[in-house]
Amino acid sequence: MLNSVLFLAILFLSLLVFFIPGKFKYHFTLVLLLCGVVLTSVWSGMLLAGDDQVLEIPLFAPSAGSTFILTIDRLAAFFIIVVNITVLVGFLYARGYLAPYLKSKNALRFSIHYFSYLWLWLSMLMVVMIRDGLSFLIVWEIMALSSFFLVIFDAEERSILKTGISYLIQMHAGMFFILIAFLIVEKTTGRMSFDALGEYFTGNRNLPLFLLFFTGFAIKAGFIPLHTWLPEAHPAAPSHVSGVMSGVMIKMGIYGILRVIVSMQSDLLVTGIIILVISLISGVLGVMMAIMQKDLKRLLAYSTIENVGIIGAGIGLGVTGMALDSPALALLGFSGSLLHVLNHSLFKSLLFFNAGSVYQATHTRNLEQMGGLMKNMPSTALLFLAGSLAICGLPPFNGFISEYLIYMGMFQSLSGATLYHSIVVLGSVVGLSLIGGLAIFCFTRAFGVAFLGAPRSDKALHAREVSAGMTIPQYITVALILLIGLASPLVVKPVFEIVTRTFAIDDPVMVSGAFTANLAQISIMGGVFVVVLAGLLVYRRHHLSRRQVDTGPTWGCGYTAGTARQQYTATSFAYNYNHIAKPVLQTAKEMDEIKEEEIFPRRRSFISHSDDIIKKALIDRPLDWLAGILKRIAVMQTGQIQHYILYAFIFMLLVLLLSILKII
Amino acid sequence: MAGFILIVIAAFFVPGMILRTKSIASGRKGPGLFQPVKDIIVLLKKGSVFSTTTGLIFQIAPAVTLATVICAMLLLPFAEQKALLPFEGDFVLFAYLLALGKFFTIIAALDTGSSFEGMGASREALFSMLVEPAFFILLATFAMFTGYTSFSVIFNHFFVTGNDYVMIYSIIGVYLFIQIAMVETSRLPVDDPKTHLELTMIHEVMILDYSGFDKALIHIGTYLKFALYGSLIYNLIVPAGWNIFLQAGLFFAVQGFFAVVIGLTESFRARNKMNKNPKFILTLSAIAWIAFTVILILTDKLA
Amino acid sequence: MVNYLIVLFAITLMYFSSADRLITYVKLIAMQGLLLCGIAIFELKEVNTANLLFIVAETLIFKTILLPYLLNRIIRRSGVTKVHRLAMPGFYLLIFSIFGLLISVILANILVNPFINTIYLAIALFTLVTGLLLIVTHKLIISHLIGFLIIENAVFMFSLAAGNEMPMLINVGILLDIFVGVLILGFFGLRLKPHTNELAMLKD
Repeated sequence: MLNSVLFLAILFLSLLVFFIPGKFKYHFTLVLLLCGVVLTSVWSGMLLAGDDQVLEIPLFAPSAGSTFILTIDRLAAFFIIVVNITVLVGFLYARGYLAPYLKSKNALRFSIHYFSYLWLWLSMLMVVMIRDGLSFLIVWEIMALSSFFLVIFDAEERSILKTGISYLIQMHAGMFFILIAFLIVEKTTGRMSFDALGEYFTGNRNLPLFLLFFTGFAIKAGFIPLHTWLPEAHPAAPSHVSGVMSGVMIKMGIYGILRVIVSMQSDLLVTGIIILVISLISGVLGVMMAIMQKDLKRLLAYSTIENVGIIGAGIGLGVTGMALDSPALALLGFSGSLLHVLNHSLFKSLLFFNAGSVYQATHTRNLEQMGGLMKNMPSTALLFLAGSLAICGLPPFNGFISEYLIYMGMFQSLSGATLYHSIVVLGSVVGLSLIGGLAIFCFTRAFGVAFLGAPRSDKALHAREVSAGMTIPQYITVALILLIGLASPLVVKPVFEIVTRTFAIDDPVMVSGAFTANLAQISIMGGVFVVVLAGLLVYRRHHLSRRQVDTGPTWGCGYTAGTARQQYTATSFAYNYNHIAKPVLQTAKEMDEIKEEEIFPRRRSFISHSDDIIKKALIDRPLDWLAGILKRIAVMQTGQIQHYILYAFIFMLLVLLLSILKII
Repeated sequence: MAGFILIVIAAFFVPGMILRTKSIASGRKGPGLFQPVKDIIVLLKKGSVFSTTTGLIFQIAPAVTLATVICAMLLLPFAEQKALLPFEGDFVLFAYLLALGKFFTIIAALDTGSSFEGMGASREALFSMLVEPAFFILLATFAMFTGYTSFSVIFNHFFVTGNDYVMIYSIIGVYLFIQIAMVETSRLPVDDPKTHLELTMIHEVMILDYSGFDKALIHIGTYLKFALYGSLIYNLIVPAGWNIFLQAGLFFAVQGFFAVVIGLTESFRARNKMNKNPKFILTLSAIAWIAFTVILILTDKLA
Repeated sequence: MVNYLIVLFAITLMYFSSADRLITYVKLIAMQGLLLCGIAIFELKEVNTANLLFIVAETLIFKTILLPYLLNRIIRRSGVTKVHRLAMPGFYLLIFSIFGLLISVILANILVNPFINTIYLAIALFTLVTGLLLIVTHKLIISHLIGFLIIENAVFMFSLAAGNEMPMLINVGILLDIFVGVLILGFFGLRLKPHTNELAMLKD
């Protein structure tokens, strides 16, 4: 009872944001956010620590129609904690990020922004807590709308408004699929709810309904080929919003897929392999496209697609494990993907906040204009380095732990498998290792070109470190990342617990116990690494203090007029990669070739394109074709009122004719 | 513990043996067997010059690379003794630790703001990305064949049956490891350590700006990596159950054989054209797929 | 012992996709001829001696010595040393080759049959796929010829897969090599240049 009252209070108090005076808006929102975070985290913590199955909190239940009852089970509790962490850290970061906009935007814009932020967070919480179908769709819609308002914060630029509207349309396309799926469930079972799925799946074919749900949720999650909104919306949004969207809003799609899988009874093997194949393609293509980007935030958006591929690979393996009755594979696959959900929310939000700091300092997102930022912005650079190391899955950070769990799921299932399963698992091993290697390429490029070397433009030269209010939340995230990386059994044991309870995997004790021991060894290895590194660095300082140390310019091979333009740019770093990846990515260049007869070449321009091939094929071409047809029909729109009256008259004649012929 | 110490001892003479083999194959007498060790001692006595363009990353990268190699050494077993820190799936940690070292080497090269080092960094990033799948396919075939996922346990159970196909698999595995070792320690035919043309270097150009203590650390890391891969090759050839003193002797014999093979390959093979290198490295993955097919036959999954 | 030869055969097929010079192709064809001879000796011990002698002599003389020598003469005479491919980095040819191995393993598993030796079937299918890939992706006629030779090696492997019964059918199949020999002699006779792709363009 108390729980419902408190939650409803938070929901209604959010409206007060509009009435609080400008100076206190931020603080009021922060206080409200903190209260809500504490409340929901306490609920989750109580559920996870105890032994109950669910925690029910009725909000609003009329006698007929949809009900708003919050049902928290272990899976929901996990997602609640993931959402709370990133949203809170994001809002702490937002104070510093939004500070320059206080002068240019009026109080109403800020109210809308804070209100939308609160409602994005609340709707995400409610998405994981609501089971009833219609209420679920309502909060899903609220989530899409609130994120739309957040994305168009900077809507003075027309392109951002266009991007926001395109984003909204694509979100509705996704909702369309989920709605149809729910309607099918209602027609068969009479109830429109996730709980009715179990009943539906026992009686009917599982695969078609799963594919409908999967398509709808995959648009939200960002699997290829349904990812086309991601690389446009994330760069357009302000950075704290990008971090929250990429970190947790995407995971709502993953949550939906998991919720459907929990109820599935048959067709599991086909489902698992479909998810695995789509995820591996998403992972590889996502990072392949990320390497070719010049815009830092677009690069991070494509990298999100890659990580969603890794999460999906874990889910696919888990489902395959359930199908083949292999508890080790199921446990490791699902745990790896859930842990990667948490890990990705941490390091991707860190990277996006960091990109926001860089944007605020240099006013550009173009990698080719940055460089040498580490000298003026050391904190930001170190934080970006930590985020890059984590996202490449390198020890001793957290990305390694989740990728390790997924690898172990693959390796464990190899020895007993039949021929086809061996081939599928080996294919996924190759895919995952390729994704890891490409991610290292991508992030050495991003970090190296942006922060190291010499400044490539005036903007980078005049960059200054951002305020502490923006770096401290990032430090908090890094602390969490290191905690999970160095002390992983602490976090993974509860995740194992969640997975075994949710997916009803039996005989988990042997496997989860063995793997907690393995993770403890990894933690010890992490500790050993840190100690060895510290020892080497301390000895180095002592050694260098007793020797002569000079400085000088970089070796220029005898050329003494070195400039910053001599460095490798982001495009040149990816040049040899582009040579290999061109048939897949269709990067194009526009340049007038220099002919042999042209002894004194004229000025020329060089443009290289790396557009999203899937967006071109799925969205741009059909839209152009549609626009072509509409242009021809638009001839009818002459602007003269006589013609429109004529159209109405012809329509009446048509109706008369058809009713005489008894067609209508 | 014994394995760790043996690797360190082998690292003292393997680089010297490679140099000596190359010299003798060219008709010269060549430097002494411990010349690389003496070079490191000379480097340790010198001071350092740092570029004004570089920052923190340049300073800590050699130490990070050496720390990763040392930690990777903790994962390898010897004879029937387990490694110092064994656990299931430690080969994944092995591969990713070495990748961490490469990450730092690449960004340290970009830190100097020089076009040569950027070129080397770009090439190194691409080639190390391409060699990862070959390594992982090989490891997956290990796991599929023996049913275990830890280095220490795999090599104990490797030579159980005397089947024809096990010998083929062992030979392919040794060949692949030698090639992967040569790609990762930047030897011919992917990268020539003796070229002095910056446009043709990969690894050498990334460490162009290092001097004194840092350069010594890098060299120590490279020599330890040689011995590391030699130890892996040794484990693939010699069954784990033999007498331990015989095994210690065989260990040094295999490391010597590995050094001589590298030396001879470097003497008689030209460096690949730079844009043929991706294809060369992908060939390693192709051969690993053949090894996988051999294992499919071995484990009776295929017919 | 046979197993070593079979795996070595598969490795030579992989090297076809990564080789750069035509001379390497010729050397690989010669090596394949030698390997096939060895496999034939080990596998076909129960066939009557006259047949076995014929097969061994044919593989040794034709595939290992005569055809490579003729191909070598043509390549030297025309001065074409590098392989010219269609608009694709050689990288992707290797990836297709890997997929080819995968598909042949899967197919061999589907077509499992007590009368057929599955391993030979898998390798034979892989040989067929490699030969087809070579013909489809290369420009020069000489590469097409070599692809055709590889397909014939596939025919030989298929016959080995069918077990020890080796009726006259297989002998006739082997004589397909003589057919290719005629094609090559045509190069000499008509003084065709191997780097014309006029014969490959069917449209004006």
